[in-house]
Amino acid sequence: MNGEKTYVIATDVGGTCTDTVVFAAGEPVHIGKALSTPPDFANGVLDSIRSAADSMGFGLEDLLKRTGLFTHGSTVVDNALLTRDGARTGLITTEGFEDTLLVTRGAYGRWAGLAEEGLKHPVKTDRAPSLVPAERIRGIPERVDYKGAVIRELDEEAAEAAIRHLVEAMGVEAIAICFLWSCYNPDHERRVRDIAAAVAPGAYVTISSDIAPVPGEYERTSTTVINAYAGRIAYDYITDLEALLAEKGYGGPLLVMQGYGGLLPAEESSRRAVGMIECGPAAGVIGARFLGGAMGDPDVIAADMGGTTFKVGVIQGGELEFAREPLVDRYHYVAPKIEVVSIGAGGGSIVSLEPRTNVPRVGPKSAGARPGPVCYGLGGVEPTLTDVMTLIGYMDPEIFLGGAMRLDVDAARAAFEAKIARPMGMAVNEAAFGIFRVAAAQIADLIHEITVERGLDPRDFVLHAFGGSCPLLAGVFGRELSVKRIVVPYTAAVNCAFGLVSADVVHEFAHTTMRPVPTPAEEINALYAPMVERARDQLGAEGFAEDDIALQWSADLRYRRQVHEVTTPVRAATPLDEAGLEALVSDFEALYERKYGKGSAYRGAGIEMTMFRLSARGRMTRPEIPAEPLAGEDARAARRGRRDVFVEAEGGLAPADIYDFAALAPGNLVAGPAVIHTPITTIVVQAAQTARMDPWRNIVIAFD
Amino acid sequence: MDPITFSIIRHRLFRIVDEAVITLKHVSGSAITNEGHDLMVSLYRADGSLLMGGVGFLHHLTSAAEACKATIRRFGDDIAEGDVFLLNDPYTAALHTSDIYLVAPIHYRGELVAWSACFVHVYDIGATNPGGFCPDAPDIFTEGFSSPGIRLVSGGRVNQDVMDTLLNMVRSPEMVALDMSSMIACNNVARERMLALIEKYGHETVDEACRTLIEQSETLLRERLRELPDGSWRSRQYIDVNGEVFKVNLTMTKRDDGLVFDFSGSSPQAPHAINCTKWASLGGLFAPLFPLLCYDITWNEGVVRPIEMIAPEGSIVNCTRPAPVSVATVGAIQSVNNAACAAIGKMLDASEKYAGEATAVWHANHFAVFMFGRNQHGGEAIGILTETFAGSGGARNFADGIDVGGEIPNPISRMANVETLETIFPLRYLFRRRMTDSGGPGRYRGGAGMEIGLTPHDAPDGGLHYVVSGKGADFPMSEGLAGGYPGAPNSYIWVKNNEAGTDPRNADAGFGQSVDDLPGEQERISWGVFPLMGDDVLYLRWNGGGGYGDPLDREPGSVLEDCRAGVVSRETAARVYGVAIDEDLAAFDAAATEARRRALAAARVPAEAAE
Repeated sequence: MNGEKTYVIATDVGGTCTDTVVFAAGEPVHIGKALSTPPDFANGVLDSIRSAADSMGFGLEDLLKRTGLFTHGSTVVDNALLTRDGARTGLITTEGFEDTLLVTRGAYGRWAGLAEEGLKHPVKTDRAPSLVPAERIRGIPERVDYKGAVIRELDEEAAEAAIRHLVEAMGVEAIAICFLWSCYNPDHERRVRDIAAAVAPGAYVTISSDIAPVPGEYERTSTTVINAYAGRIAYDYITDLEALLAEKGYGGPLLVMQGYGGLLPAEESSRRAVGMIECGPAAGVIGARFLGGAMGDPDVIAADMGGTTFKVGVIQGGELEFAREPLVDRYHYVAPKIEVVSIGAGGGSIVSLEPRTNVPRVGPKSAGARPGPVCYGLGGVEPTLTDVMTLIGYMDPEIFLGGAMRLDVDAARAAFEAKIARPMGMAVNEAAFGIFRVAAAQIADLIHEITVERGLDPRDFVLHAFGGSCPLLAGVFGRELSVKRIVVPYTAAVNCAFGLVSADVVHEFAHTTMRPVPTPAEEINALYAPMVERARDQLGAEGFAEDDIALQWSADLRYRRQVHEVTTPVRAATPLDEAGLEALVSDFEALYERKYGKGSAYRGAGIEMTMFRLSARGRMTRPEIPAEPLAGEDARAARRGRRDVFVEAEGGLAPADIYDFAALAPGNLVAGPAVIHTPITTIVVQAAQTARMDPWRNIVIAFD
Repeated sequence: MDPITFSIIRHRLFRIVDEAVITLKHVSGSAITNEGHDLMVSLYRADGSLLMGGVGFLHHLTSAAEACKATIRRFGDDIAEGDVFLLNDPYTAALHTSDIYLVAPIHYRGELVAWSACFVHVYDIGATNPGGFCPDAPDIFTEGFSSPGIRLVSGGRVNQDVMDTLLNMVRSPEMVALDMSSMIACNNVARERMLALIEKYGHETVDEACRTLIEQSETLLRERLRELPDGSWRSRQYIDVNGEVFKVNLTMTKRDDGLVFDFSGSSPQAPHAINCTKWASLGGLFAPLFPLLCYDITWNEGVVRPIEMIAPEGSIVNCTRPAPVSVATVGAIQSVNNAACAAIGKMLDASEKYAGEATAVWHANHFAVFMFGRNQHGGEAIGILTETFAGSGGARNFADGIDVGGEIPNPISRMANVETLETIFPLRYLFRRRMTDSGGPGRYRGGAGMEIGLTPHDAPDGGLHYVVSGKGADFPMSEGLAGGYPGAPNSYIWVKNNEAGTDPRNADAGFGQSVDDLPGEQERISWGVFPLMGDDVLYLRWNGGGGYGDPLDREPGSVLEDCRAGVVSRETAARVYGVAIDEDLAAFDAAATEARRRALAAARVPAEAAE
């Protein structure tokens, strides 16, 4: 294999860990893990790849030389926003509307992203500080109307003066430009961009008609500002990483994950900082979709629970849902982004009692990785959900994290007794079982709500349980939701990185304009023609053959006088004929009724199309994971004894068989109640549940 | 009861309300429900008392309880599984006719165990004016369809004759039909989820949890009240209508663990539609009470018990039939909201422990402009300008009010984008920005309100008409706290035939950036139906929040920042805050500021008293 570029590397930089998976045809999956190294995330990337290389018996450079493709997701943009570490940014907008960004459509920016406690307590809520303060916002005389017609000429002199003022007097390093209705007519924004290039060549400039060409000036302005604010950081990060990888011997392309679940070439991604927001969780959902597809399950609820948050995404019929009103930190933006809902519930979530009533709650505060749960012995004093798991017998104190850390059960018990059990007037065990049930019920409530929001029924779904904490609880909340079955994927520990290698290169195009139904098909086709041409050119230039290019048309439709828009995929052949267009409209009606409920459609007002989207996909060759031959059902070889654990059906402790994941063979059956320890998580199989290891080493839990 | 099961059931009850709200928004699809969040969903006990209040327009939580109780009184034993009742008569329970309640009994194994209730502001109610706000209505009979209780759904089947009768009385019956469907679907979801909860935990356990939840709220609020100082606090709100002035007078007295809201001394009921009924006043005082005193307590009957209201019959806050009330939600009810917020703020501010919860009055004055006419797409456009939901925050004991930060009675509202509004209506915005000097001055400044200018654009009929029921143009209504000034008043100006708009010699014609830039005759308006035709401009400005503390105590640096941001003018900085700021806003003059502040303080006290 000398000189052959056989490997594909995927590295995902998360808030805590940087995960790597390495694939090659016919070889098992190799995994690498390292701590993330903010703000210089590239070091953690190399550490993580090195860790995978070590496990393969290679040096870092040996592995990189043999690698033909590197796919990557990173939290670098999210981090820049969370730490307010972006560029000093100014904003140029339409005169008379200078406050659009600051007033966030009224209270919207004050309450968006708050949990119940915040919503009920307005006196103690504020907006997140604006990324651009009032004194760095300049209004320019110009105006376009709702049709895209210029009704007031751009005052170029005023624009130039404003740019000079921002750069020279205010010292801005980045400029965001967003005018009213630029989504329908970008001319003024482009002219101001050109003026900026001439008078302030050093400034990083983003115009809204490039980054978010959609109606809705507040969200569009906010997106433009975020992109300007984090643009240079994203650009430098990607170009530096490319250089670093090249220096270590890598000679292939770098593809970067986007929040919508597709990959973009480094060069394009480096100009779209907003695209990288939350790309890790998006990759996780893509990974779940790939795995679900491989297992014959197109309907998947993908749940990931780590130390601080519980995240959940829904895949229906192999399709992903995009977020309608995405937020990063507490800033709104518009960019196609896979919907991933999260709540502050993780292993590190602190268990507490409400003052005065002693009603228990889990989270939203977290002990994080440090000081972490009490049982870690790193100085944590507040009992956490992980401590509860320890008390109810789910963790083996000796082999936690493959034996890397020993858990201090006594300390966990003492803290839990003093702070929770005794004030509640309950015995430690009883109180710990209770907290476990509270956590499982809260997760079930959340998942129920987000499926209702999509007009779906959780009973039609398979639950994928990822992350260190999810497989401990999934048996209980999965049963409460009556999901079909539960899958704990073999790659659960590096789920996001796994998603990176199952993604395609995807370019998203959109043309915003209003068309009534009916509109002649040829008129719609004419809107698509330039997008299709651009898409083909771009993918062709990236080396995709005609056969590997797939163009998916879709359109946003709505009933006139109603606010809900539904992105409806075109199923007919494109370019469209009249029958295909009719099919699109009837698909919209069916989707609308499914999502918003029976009788929700008001056909009398007519239907209109508001946006025409093109998703241009360059198909990547997916690594094939070899299926292993099935051994028998007998799992006794992997049994490592028996101990008492909390069994929900019993309402208390009951003896359970303990298994070592590494010793299980595909085909083995494990009847609940049982506990399966893996190096990174613990899988609890409740009573009346049976776990089976499938040919890809996924654990599949069925309800008896 | 077992705290674990209690915790799980409480969480689920909250989520049930959440899921029902989602359903309501989904099916309705209307802008006022989805953008303005002008809605409410709550759960009630079998006797109609409030069990779990949702976060929506909060003055509906208790009046929907009364709607359940009125339904029980009217229908008695004739309430069956799967029934849904409609009620929108303000003299029975509702706030005004446009806010329709649908209340639905929840039966478990044949027994009535709970109610769910919801409301939306329906698209139209068949009143004199489209949209339902009728400032000139002489009586309730001109304010559209109203029912003290009618069965809309029997045993899960819509009574089509009833539905058709209702739809026959409204403009755009299809839109109203959607509003009705959304509320039926919302009640269905609440019932299904409630029954699943009972199925899982058993009726007795759930019932005990509900009882405990109510007792707990009562205990917690009474404990909090005992921690607060005893005393009486007053607030007076003036409502100006076309030169007439009406008054909402509140004396709030706290003794031990009870709180009495006494509205004696309020004006007799008005000949205008600003009046409100008793249930509306009760809801009006609870709307701020829930988030200000019960931010960490479940909103239910337990919170209602320690509170008493005295509202003289025949007054503006307890009018008698057939007084008109269609503007109540932005009239007397909002004044009750404000007066209660002000009195509660004063009480909190008097407590060392709770001073950090004290706030001046937020956004005291909705302007509720309803546009109607034909739009540029040839369709009908009836709708509220959602800017009225944008509001402004009152200053707090520890911080400034939030500019354009919403309002207390509807904590999660928002306004639509200009680009959305310019699509729905044949209008063009000239500007939409924070209003200079609108936030009430104080040590902590009240949040700013905004100003907007609107002119017809591409209107097939040359323009639109609008209903304005605007008070608060003569008197500021967002009261300050602890010496803080009130927020600036609203303003409504009809600029007639802004001729410069068509003058080809003026390149910037039609793009005036302030009301002073707009030529043409200007008329202050506030009440009735007006045209917006040709080159007319409607200029609207809404109030800022009240300030907190003495403006002379405000950090001069903060005043300078406000000037730079355009929220406070240099003149006001000097005149009210006593801060001398350079013309180029570079700095303030510390010595001049100190002298000026001393002079301003001295001028407040008559010379002889000072000696």
